[in-house]
Amino acid sequence: MKRLAALLVIALTASVAAAADPALVEKAKAEKKAAFYANITAVEPILEAFAKTYGVSAEYTRVSTNKFVATVLTEHQAGKLMADVLQAPLPILEILKEKGVLAAYRPPAMAGYPAWAGQDERIQQFGIEYVAYIYNKELVKPGDAPALYEDLADPKWRGKIVMADPSTHATTISWLIGLKEKVFTSEEAWLKFVKGLAANQPMFVNSFGPTPAPVESGEKLIAISMPKYIITKAPAPLDWARLKQPMLGSPRAMALAAAAPRPNAAKLFIDYWLSRDAMKIMAEKVGEYVLAPGVFPPIDGMETARVEPIRELSDEEIRRWGGEFKKIFAMP
Amino acid sequence: MAKPLAGLTWALIALVAFLTVCPVFMLVFGSFSTGLEAFGSFTLAKYIQSYTDPALAGIIVNTVVFTAGSALVATALALFLSYLNLRTNIPFKSLFQTISIIPMMIPHILFCVSWALLLNPSNGLFNLLLREFGLSGAAFNIYSMPGMILVEGLLDLPIAYLIIAPAMSAFDVSLEESSKVCGASNLRTLLKVTLPVLRPAILAAFILVIVRSLASFAVPAVLGMPGRIYVLASHIYRIIASGFAADYGQAAAVGMSALSASIVLIVIYRRLTAESEKFVTVTSRGYRPAVIDLKRARLPLFGCVGLLCLVLIVLPVAVLFYVSLLPYAMVPSAKALSLMSWKNWQAVIRDPVSFLSLKNSLFLGVAGASLGVVLSVFVAYIIVKVRTRASGFLESLSFLSFSFPGIVIGVGFMWFFVRTPLYATLWALLIGYIATYLPYGVRPLTSAFVQIHSHLEESSRVCGAGTLYTLWRIVIPLLVPGVVSGWILMATMFVRELTLSVVLSRPGTEVIAVQILRFAEDGLWGRLSALGIIMIFISTALVVAATWVGRRFIRVEKG
Repeated sequence: MKRLAALLVIALTASVAAAADPALVEKAKAEKKAAFYANITAVEPILEAFAKTYGVSAEYTRVSTNKFVATVLTEHQAGKLMADVLQAPLPILEILKEKGVLAAYRPPAMAGYPAWAGQDERIQQFGIEYVAYIYNKELVKPGDAPALYEDLADPKWRGKIVMADPSTHATTISWLIGLKEKVFTSEEAWLKFVKGLAANQPMFVNSFGPTPAPVESGEKLIAISMPKYIITKAPAPLDWARLKQPMLGSPRAMALAAAAPRPNAAKLFIDYWLSRDAMKIMAEKVGEYVLAPGVFPPIDGMETARVEPIRELSDEEIRRWGGEFKKIFAMP
Repeated sequence: MAKPLAGLTWALIALVAFLTVCPVFMLVFGSFSTGLEAFGSFTLAKYIQSYTDPALAGIIVNTVVFTAGSALVATALALFLSYLNLRTNIPFKSLFQTISIIPMMIPHILFCVSWALLLNPSNGLFNLLLREFGLSGAAFNIYSMPGMILVEGLLDLPIAYLIIAPAMSAFDVSLEESSKVCGASNLRTLLKVTLPVLRPAILAAFILVIVRSLASFAVPAVLGMPGRIYVLASHIYRIIASGFAADYGQAAAVGMSALSASIVLIVIYRRLTAESEKFVTVTSRGYRPAVIDLKRARLPLFGCVGLLCLVLIVLPVAVLFYVSLLPYAMVPSAKALSLMSWKNWQAVIRDPVSFLSLKNSLFLGVAGASLGVVLSVFVAYIIVKVRTRASGFLESLSFLSFSFPGIVIGVGFMWFFVRTPLYATLWALLIGYIATYLPYGVRPLTSAFVQIHSHLEESSRVCGAGTLYTLWRIVIPLLVPGVVSGWILMATMFVRELTLSVVLSRPGTEVIAVQILRFAEDGLWGRLSALGIIMIFISTALVVAATWVGRRFIRVEKG
């Protein structure tokens, strides 16, 4: 395993160092480090590889998603934004773009990504926070797992589901709306599914983070969650339901800060982050679904799975739908 | 009131106001501003929207039941445990003392998860056990109001204990003896003499726990949300969480009701303890706390307390240890046993951020608690000995940041600190901690001060000593139990502090909370449990050190 990691580092050093603009590297070295704000798991190997390749360190501050806008805007308005690079779900970066926090930058590493991922000159989309049904494979036979989204509305799942609170969790709300717009053939069919899901009395938690634990322990059998947990929580008995319909998720994106204290190191970091090698680390170590062509998380069946981005919803829309789901799921 | 005391009062008001009012002011501004920042154009929309929400009435009822219930559980348990520990000859006292402080040392979210593993209706260990005995269905459901009250009550037990214990240990036994001489039974003496004299401490504990549980988020999130029971803190979370651009101004508008509730509680407390002379137990005329012989009840009571501690505190901690050894959460079985390893522990210890965050948290714990207690001594002294409007104002001020729901106050501090050079330094955390948790120092000290008769100070002054010298030589030595309590509450709180830290900590100023957040957001309960147990060890070391220093201090004074 160690040898494999070493080989990986060598290969990645060679390929990326060759790709980067030497002038940029020199300027970045003079700036010494790139600071970045994000809320993402276990990306330390990417940061280490970056430092090793260029001699520029990457400093990661984890900022919770619900404090991201508040933190960045507060610092930005006080002229004290400490981050050079920002990384968050797409809708958050859209809000920051509107407030003038982001700079235009077209990284050369985006070549080969789907055209939609790089259409905004200020925001680079590099992954999708894909959502799927995750079940306990010791307690549910693969044949009994849902084959379609609507199967989870079957009364046999009553009291056996865990999901993030659909009245508040923005990603879950967007996902449900994504199903309406991209998967179900009619609004009636979709509404029937949502009502059936509500009738199955799912247990609510506040975000995706706490969804796998009750499934691992057998407290619940199935979760509306993320397949990446199959990697990060291994050897937990988790598997994903291979549905006939596509998986959906909010795009993950990154951007250069307009007032970046270290703009060159920031550009170098973004280029590196989007490189195939860095994306490979992310897919393999963290199970993320990335947009770099030909790179897949090592989860059985994922190379052939269809994963599509959800249209971004405005906060006003999210709150309105949150209110609707509050009624449908009969929450106080 | 003597002139120097008036000066001291106003100096303290200025200092405490600086500490606690700044972030709250920012939140007040935010709640009246359009947009997402602290300073936008004026609007009342956030208040109108918050307080016309039809769901609010039900949430307030839940909140009242939840906070009052938790305060009742915590205070009753604290009274029972501190009475047996400090006033009777029950065996293994120090053990019970430590056990009643343990919930203060664990990240609350972890304690909740542990209880969910024990008492969830699907496969909670207790429920599985009862099913073995033929009981069908689920006997216990932790995702319910009684479940929430039980766990919050236990989490706040150390607060109540550390406020009541100093008062209990400074109890003047002659009061009880007089009662018994007049023919009253032990129970009657307890009800008619002991408890009424302890009223300030009991009320202080009760009110502090109410205020704390009003602001607490772990129990409403981990146990309330799955049971679909919402209280004020989780209602505020809903406001923040729905949508990507969290509106902290709106959250602050709702938070203002928690703030007003706390201020009302403090006013009530001051009314109820207005005639402070009633509660004086340490006078210049000789005082000695005495031990009551439990006689035949000694062993049964010991068994009772032991069982209580075992089920309520030791068992959840044991569950944490169990979880820390497993690769993922599972019910005990042969398979679970075969998968046990130290991997989570190794991962936590080897993490490069761990060492730095441990160092920072220890510094903040020791330095923060020491500075905090020094400030608290002065504040408590003024609150108790100078009963003017100004001192009442000081008392309310000391509660200001504390009574704001945690998720909101962190942002208030960020809005404030970003305008100062302290932003992103360890000093911002230090100041924020002391400002927010000042009541942890002030409360135990006020209930201790209440018992000290002013004759003692007057005698000292008659002999020519100044205010500060009197404080140092006469008052503080009598206060040692209160000082130790305050220090323990603050230090253990600072070591595990989460709400301010996650907003204010930056690379280089990482604290343990950063790791907690990381593990919790990724659902890595095994690592989180290992870290939790390491935190218990660190805090236990701090508690032992504080108790030891306290005892030495008393001995030196006596010698």
